Amino acid sequence: MTSHSSPPKIVLVGNPNVGKSVLFNVLTGSYTTVSNYPGTSVEVASGRCRIGGRAYEVLDTPGMYSLMPITEEERVARKILLTERPDVLLHVVDARNIERMLPMTLQLIEARQPVILVVNILDEAERLGMTFDLPRLAQNLGIPVVGAVMKRRQGLEELQQAITGFTSAPRALEVYANDLEADIRRLAEMLKADYPLGARATAILLMQRDQEVETLVRAEEGEGFPLIAPVLHDIKFNRRADLNLLISLERKRLTRKMLEGAFQQRDADHLMFSERLSRWAMNPFSGVPLLVLVLYFGLYQFVGNFGAGTLVDFLEGVLFENYINPAVVGFFNRITDIYWLRELLVGEYGLWTLGIRYAVALILPIVGTFFLVFSLLEDTGYFPRLAMLVDRLFKQIGLSGRAVIPIVLGFGCDTMATMVTRTLESARERIIATLLLALAIPCSAQLGVILGLLAVYPGALVVWMLVMVAVFLLIGYLSARVLPGENPVFYMEIPPLRLPQARNVLVKTLTRMQSYFLEILPLFLVASVILWAGKMSGILDLVVKGMTPLVRALGLPGEATAAFIFGFFRRDFGAAGLYDLQNRGLLSPVQLTVAAVTLTLFVPCIAQFLMMKKERGLRTSLGIFVFVSVLAFSVGWGLNRLLLLTGVLA
Amino acid sequence: MTCGFCGKEIPAKVGLNSCGGCGSRCRKIHCPYCGYANPAPGKLLKRFLLAEEKKDDC
Repeated sequence: MTSHSSPPKIVLVGNPNVGKSVLFNVLTGSYTTVSNYPGTSVEVASGRCRIGGRAYEVLDTPGMYSLMPITEEERVARKILLTERPDVLLHVVDARNIERMLPMTLQLIEARQPVILVVNILDEAERLGMTFDLPRLAQNLGIPVVGAVMKRRQGLEELQQAITGFTSAPRALEVYANDLEADIRRLAEMLKADYPLGARATAILLMQRDQEVETLVRAEEGEGFPLIAPVLHDIKFNRRADLNLLISLERKRLTRKMLEGAFQQRDADHLMFSERLSRWAMNPFSGVPLLVLVLYFGLYQFVGNFGAGTLVDFLEGVLFENYINPAVVGFFNRITDIYWLRELLVGEYGLWTLGIRYAVALILPIVGTFFLVFSLLEDTGYFPRLAMLVDRLFKQIGLSGRAVIPIVLGFGCDTMATMVTRTLESARERIIATLLLALAIPCSAQLGVILGLLAVYPGALVVWMLVMVAVFLLIGYLSARVLPGENPVFYMEIPPLRLPQARNVLVKTLTRMQSYFLEILPLFLVASVILWAGKMSGILDLVVKGMTPLVRALGLPGEATAAFIFGFFRRDFGAAGLYDLQNRGLLSPVQLTVAAVTLTLFVPCIAQFLMMKKERGLRTSLGIFVFVSVLAFSVGWGLNRLLLLTGVLA
Repeated sequence: MTCGFCGKEIPAKVGLNSCGGCGSRCRKIHCPYCGYANPAPGKLLKRFLLAEEKKDDC
């Protein structure tokens, strides 16, 4: 250990929730201070301790997942490594997730940090059937490794011995795959200054487009940087598609190599059920049937039959129809005889009869059941597995598994999902995802109403689903061919599959329902007022008359025009209008199917359109709007002709 | 809070409107790692959750 006038520094790093703070408290006792890291709002704890008669300064850094920072917390943690130059760096990992956390150990070794690996929470890992040969792991990694259960101070003595006996930074690690290694070396050899993370790790971060590191290198290399810049540019350009993926895969490979003979999962042949389920969910042969089961029980049975059927029948058909509506309508009729006011409150498009009834009796039970299923699946960790499952298919339509996030969120609300498309990597992906969301992804309420309506005619439901999937894939495929650009690469760390926690699911469901309801209620009320004003002024009649030929061309009754006009205000509003039509017995199975298909494909609602304009610009949004409108009616028209011609659903 | 998609811990200071996207107070916390929109409990629910946590601590 180097000698200093100030006490040597011990810095703790690691992912969040691995027991860093427990270790910090165990090491420092009550001699600690917590303050904001200079220039940031991130708190950093520091303290002092004595080990083997020698004083040490101890710093607890915020949680970090890698040396490539994304959050302010990670940025501060890395800055501490860069500026504090620790004498000992304790990398704390959760033994249960050692395979996911060891890549960061490799990064720290690569960055020439004086690492001691602390494998914490060993007791729970052993309970899960994991066994560790820590001396072997230490040998493989070339650094001291200490096993610990810090909350019980188990392993503290060994750790203290490792700290006092620590001598030097780790040896160089094994290399990456040939061509990647060649690029790293080429760049690292050009870096002449003394970097706190070493030339190799600095070169890798430069290649990964780390702006802070690039600024540092620019400053440190001074006149030498113009020689580095073209090489860096070439590497970045040649590896623009898959660099992060390659580095992650290489670190994974090295992690497995380091764990060889040092880690075993008991009964490896009989993997834990969650691990097997996780693999099934991502394998196309078992993942697709599993997805079908999830859709059948989660969406069709629970949301469609129970939410849109049983619950809506009870709320709308029993409570509102028999008790609430007569009481409210009677009350307003008693207190006023002004025609326009009665119409505004409880008339055909009244605030109560249309706005509140649709929101409370039709939409809320459907989105409630949908969000319950959604939150349940989310809490199990199924979605990232779904992303891996559909990645190959999505590549055919110009997207990657990453697009599962907006697409899945679109089944909740397309407006919010449109905003989330900004997380996609290329402009091409963002446009395709926005188009597909506007076209073929029904929001939860629309989906629930449609499932509920079509469940009565299973054939109609099958036709609707087939048309939606076909349009989604065909338009996606054609868009990917028309729009220039490369196919994106997708890679993500898969979090463990877990049993859903009732409290988590409930909180998420209630939060989503509250958020959704507060968003739709004002819009439904405004839409009711606009429709009322349209009715009173006669404008609505003109619009209906104008649209009726179009609606009739689809083989639908003139009354269906209102549902399309509603749909423009909100998709779910339109679906609720369809529900009313069906209740009045105005639609045959063919008409119902055509109306459901056309309404699902129909133009995005006002809120979604505004979001599209904000995210993609006015020109693209208008283009999508016109394209979707024309396509919706064309597909509806074609489907009607086809169904009548073939006699299917007759 | 743990992200419902990537499972990573979202720092407590990443609050509402963290994405800076729309300023609509949409009650979503966007994960800084993957962009997933996680629901953020409203005031009432948060108060209830805090009360529950206090009860658990006792």
